[in-house]
Amino acid sequence: MNDPRLSRRALIAGAGTAALAAPALASIGAKLGGMIDLALPGGPSLRPTTPAFPGKGEMIVQRIRPPLLEAPMEVFREGIITPNDRMFVRWNWQMPTEVKAAGHRVAVGGAVKNAVSLTLSDITAAGETVEVIAINQCAGNGRGLSEPRVTGTQWGNGAMGCAKWTGVRLKDVLAKAGLAAGGSRVRFAGLDVPLTDGAPQFIKSIPMDIAMRDDVLVAWGMNDEPLSILHGFPLRIVVPGWFSTYWVKMLSTIEVLTGEDDSYYVADSYRIPAQPITPEAKDFPTVAITAMPPRAFITSHADGATVALGKPLMLEGIAMGGDAALERVDLVGKGWEIPCDLGPDEGGPYAFRRWSVNLPQVAGDFDGIGVRARNVNGAVQPAALVWNPSGYARNVIERITLRAQ
Amino acid sequence: MMRRALLPALLLLLAACDSAPEIAFADASITLPDDPVDLPEGPGREAVIENCTACHSPSTMLQQPKVSREKWESIVGKMRKLYKAPVDEAAAAQVVDYMVAVQARPEAAR
Repeated sequence: MNDPRLSRRALIAGAGTAALAAPALASIGAKLGGMIDLALPGGPSLRPTTPAFPGKGEMIVQRIRPPLLEAPMEVFREGIITPNDRMFVRWNWQMPTEVKAAGHRVAVGGAVKNAVSLTLSDITAAGETVEVIAINQCAGNGRGLSEPRVTGTQWGNGAMGCAKWTGVRLKDVLAKAGLAAGGSRVRFAGLDVPLTDGAPQFIKSIPMDIAMRDDVLVAWGMNDEPLSILHGFPLRIVVPGWFSTYWVKMLSTIEVLTGEDDSYYVADSYRIPAQPITPEAKDFPTVAITAMPPRAFITSHADGATVALGKPLMLEGIAMGGDAALERVDLVGKGWEIPCDLGPDEGGPYAFRRWSVNLPQVAGDFDGIGVRARNVNGAVQPAALVWNPSGYARNVIERITLRAQ
Repeated sequence: MMRRALLPALLLLLAACDSAPEIAFADASITLPDDPVDLPEGPGREAVIENCTACHSPSTMLQQPKVSREKWESIVGKMRKLYKAPVDEAAAAQVVDYMVAVQARPEAAR
C-alpha cells in the first residue's frame, strides 16, 4: 500500500467482517497461546500470551494492531539484560511491515546549515560507534495498576527492558547538516504514520542540551543484533535515562527546532500534572514526562508465594536509578526496613542492577512487603502512588505478600 | 570485532572504535498475526466494527477498565476531533452504547 492513510470506505473494508459468534475475552488465550493474570485492580485482568509475533518469545498481548506486547515479570528473574525476544513492543501508529535498507533515508533539516538526506551508510559513518546499556521503559509502564484506574494501554510492569544499544551519537549525525544558530530542540519522526488524514503524526522532540549528550544515540544495534522491525528497524533514537516515548523508532526525519515544540505528542500528550492532583481535578498545569524516576522489583517471588516458616529466606530482584545511578535498595514492610545488597555494577547508571537480601529466619507471613530504590540524586520511590490521569511514570513501591508455612 | 575502550570519567558504558565499522543492513520484512477476537454481541456492535476496529484490536477494547458513559463519550469525541476518525454522530452514540453495555457485564461474560 503506497498511501497508508485510509478513507472511511477503506477503514470499513480493512476491518473485515467478524462472525456473529460472541466468544468472551477469556477465550482469546486459547486461540493465541496461554493466559496470564496481571492482577489489575478491578479487572479485566486476564491477558493472552503468545509467541506468534515475529522474533518474539512468549509475550503478553496488550494489543494486536498496532502491536503492544508486554514482557512477563519472569523475564527479569536473571541478569540485567533483557533478551531481544522478550523486550516489550509499543507502537502508537501502525508501522510498515517491510523496510528496504538501500532505500531508507534520514532527512536532517530545520535550523541547520545544509539540510541533508542520509543513507544508512552515511549514518554509520557519521562518527565513532558507541555502545550504551540503557533501560527502555514505556512512560505508561504499570498504568493498569493505577487506582483509581485510568484508560489507555493497561500495562502491568513489563513494559520495560534493558539492552545494549549500538549506534552513533546524535550530535555526530546533526553535524552532517551543521547546526544553525538558535536551535532549541531536536525533533524526530519515524515511518509509522496515522491511518486517518489530519491525525497527529507520532513525532517527539528533546531539548538541545539532551540531544548533545555523548550517550544519546542514533542506534541500529540491540544486544549485538540489528534492530528488528518491531523494535524500529533500521534506526531508533536512544536517550538513556528518559522514557522510551522519546526513543523514536524507524527514524526517518530529524528536525532542529528554534522554539518550543507545539506538536500534539509533546505539547498535549505524554504530560503529567505539574503538582499532585486528585482524580476530580480539572484544568491543572502540566509538564512533559521526560526523565525516569527510580524503581525496584522483587523478581524471586510472586505475590502470594509460599515461603518456609522458620527457615532462612533470600529475596532477589532488579532495580534502576532512572536518570541517575542507583544508590541503594531497601526492603520495606509495615514499620520496618532492611537494606539490601546491591549486585555488581554491570551496566552503568542507566542499566538494571540486581539486589538481594538474606533474612535469617521466616517468623510468619510477610504482608505487603516491597523494595524501595533511591538514586544518587536522592530521588526515592514513594510509599503511596502519586496518581495522574494518564497513569504515567509509575514508581510507587510495588508490594507483595508472602505466606509462611 | 569492535575494540572496546571504557570511558570511566563519563561513568558511562561506552565503547569506541578506532575506525568506522562496516555495518551491513539487510532488508527487513515481517508478517503480523491477526487478532482472533470477535466482539461479543451488544447494542451498536456493527457500528464498533465499522468505525473502530481498523485502528483498535477488539481485544484491546475489551481489556479497558470499566469507566463511565461520560468518559466513553469523551474518548469517542477525542477519536473524532483529534484523531480525525471518520465517525458520524449516530455511529458515535452507538459506539458509546456498546462499550457501556459490554462493560456492564461480568468480566467472564464479555
